[in-house]
Amino acid sequence: MYLTAEFEETNSTAAAILALKTQGMEAQALDVFSTEPVEFAAGVLDRPSRMSLFAVAGAVALCLLSVGFVYYTQHDLPIITGGMPFFSFWATGVIFYEFALLGAIVVTFLTMLWESGLLRRSGPAPELQPGRIYLRVRCRPEQEAAAAESLDRAGTLRIERTESDS
Amino acid sequence: MTTVPAAAIPRLQSREDLWRPLRGASRPYIVAVALAALAVAWGLIAWGYQIHQGIGVAGIRRPVMWGFYIVNFVFWIGISHAGTLISAILRLTHAGWRRPVTRVAEAITVFALMIGGLFPLIHLGRVWLFYWLVPYPNERGLWPNFRSPLVWDLTAIFTYLTGSVIYLYLPLIPDLAELSRKTGGWRARLYGLLCLGWTGSDRQWRALERAMKLMAGIILAVAVSVHTVVAWDFAMSLAPTWHSTIFGPYFVVGAIFSGIAALLLVMAIARKALRLESYLQPMHFENLSRLLVLMSLLWFYFTVAENLTVWYGNEPQEMSVFGARVRGPYAPYFWVMVLCNFVVPFVLLGVRRLRSIRTATISAVAVLVGMWLERYLIIVPTLATPRLAAAWGSYSPTWVEISITSATFAAMTLLYLIFAKLFPIIAIWEYHHVSDG
Repeated sequence: MYLTAEFEETNSTAAAILALKTQGMEAQALDVFSTEPVEFAAGVLDRPSRMSLFAVAGAVALCLLSVGFVYYTQHDLPIITGGMPFFSFWATGVIFYEFALLGAIVVTFLTMLWESGLLRRSGPAPELQPGRIYLRVRCRPEQEAAAAESLDRAGTLRIERTESDS
Repeated sequence: MTTVPAAAIPRLQSREDLWRPLRGASRPYIVAVALAALAVAWGLIAWGYQIHQGIGVAGIRRPVMWGFYIVNFVFWIGISHAGTLISAILRLTHAGWRRPVTRVAEAITVFALMIGGLFPLIHLGRVWLFYWLVPYPNERGLWPNFRSPLVWDLTAIFTYLTGSVIYLYLPLIPDLAELSRKTGGWRARLYGLLCLGWTGSDRQWRALERAMKLMAGIILAVAVSVHTVVAWDFAMSLAPTWHSTIFGPYFVVGAIFSGIAALLLVMAIARKALRLESYLQPMHFENLSRLLVLMSLLWFYFTVAENLTVWYGNEPQEMSVFGARVRGPYAPYFWVMVLCNFVVPFVLLGVRRLRSIRTATISAVAVLVGMWLERYLIIVPTLATPRLAAAWGSYSPTWVEISITSATFAAMTLLYLIFAKLFPIIAIWEYHHVSDG
């Protein structure tokens, strides 16, 4: 089941998150919703990311692919070049550079889609009001009372209960 | 130009202000769309005529085989630096005042690239054979020449366009999600589809902000390379005044310069037409005007460095082009270029007392004219004055080239008018997001 608490400002939301974590709730069970990004201090609700790593991997992958593509394409057609090299690494460096950046761009976009959970449904999302912050807690029925108490103590405006994802 | 403190506009008010332009269509809007569409249609007719009759209907003749089409290509690719590059620099430096400016700028980039990217196809004449240029492994007996800067262009522009579309789209997603809930009918369906199920969760915000930061860094590297590669289209040849080591940075500076001018002009029009005076404040024009003056000085420095070395070297072939530019048949264009790119912005925006939104707009128009002339003066005089004096020639554009050129300006207007009617021109969530200064 889900509890969704509405808050007016960041500090009380952070206090609620810390209280819930103290009770044993995992960060994976907590989600904050808002119409603008909300920034908490480090350690409150961290979301580790591998986006930069994937971007670099994407750049390297597409760069290598372009090197292979250019090499293969230039050798695919036997042609007499009067002793000139078929494949010139330096003269085609711009292409490898551009493909490396294209790889980084595309992989960053795909990683963003994956890490954000877009295109996937994950529990009920609250109806957002501009300027308000919503903290959604996924908990078992036996945890509900303690979680609601923590949310109340942190200064929530109201709490909504939802039984399932539907 | 006085600096008005950033107005603390309530969130609901800002939504009303920024969503208002999306509703209905005023008479001036419909007239503007109709006029722009007519001009675009005329340009398409001219292009159709060229395809039917052959490239001979254009004014490009030996030795000037690159005319208006390539001038326009370089000009529009330069304008494309308005958005993504400027937005990326401001984002990376956490310039707080950027917030109402970024989307206006990013949209310019996408449209300018779409228009600029068309010109190599138009210039090709037999546009249906375009795929012959695409260097895929083939058995048609064509040897794809990856060493040609023109193929470098293809990859650079494709990467820049892909990156710019994503860079424009990503920060639109949260606004689209809000709009899908607040609108109805086809708009709600369109926004609902484009927002990809955005709910505003912290995972989504963090992923979005991380992606935007990364993209800003990557896009900077792409943007600089794109115009450097465009410069290398010229500099890699041994034509007089083209074979220059500073052409790359010279083109990048010129591109950012014309990009800022385009941004100022679009901002001034959007401010008036969409009644966004509370958002696009004098402060934004002031800051961009300063940048424009800085770029004007840099452009002047590069122009002097480029021409002084040619003049001092006194190499006969280069001096022929230099002479044609500064005191020959192209001299009027050259001196108008200097007036537009240096004197006008330096006087109107450099003197504090004269600086205003109006003078910023006048300077922006002057710079756009001046930068188009600069592209013309780089390309045409060099081709008209090749090393062999017996091969010298001249170039006069025909009605086909003039029509297509005019149509591209109309196309930019039309695309922007449609964009401003479909999407909020200022990112609402970014406007209220204060944590990054």
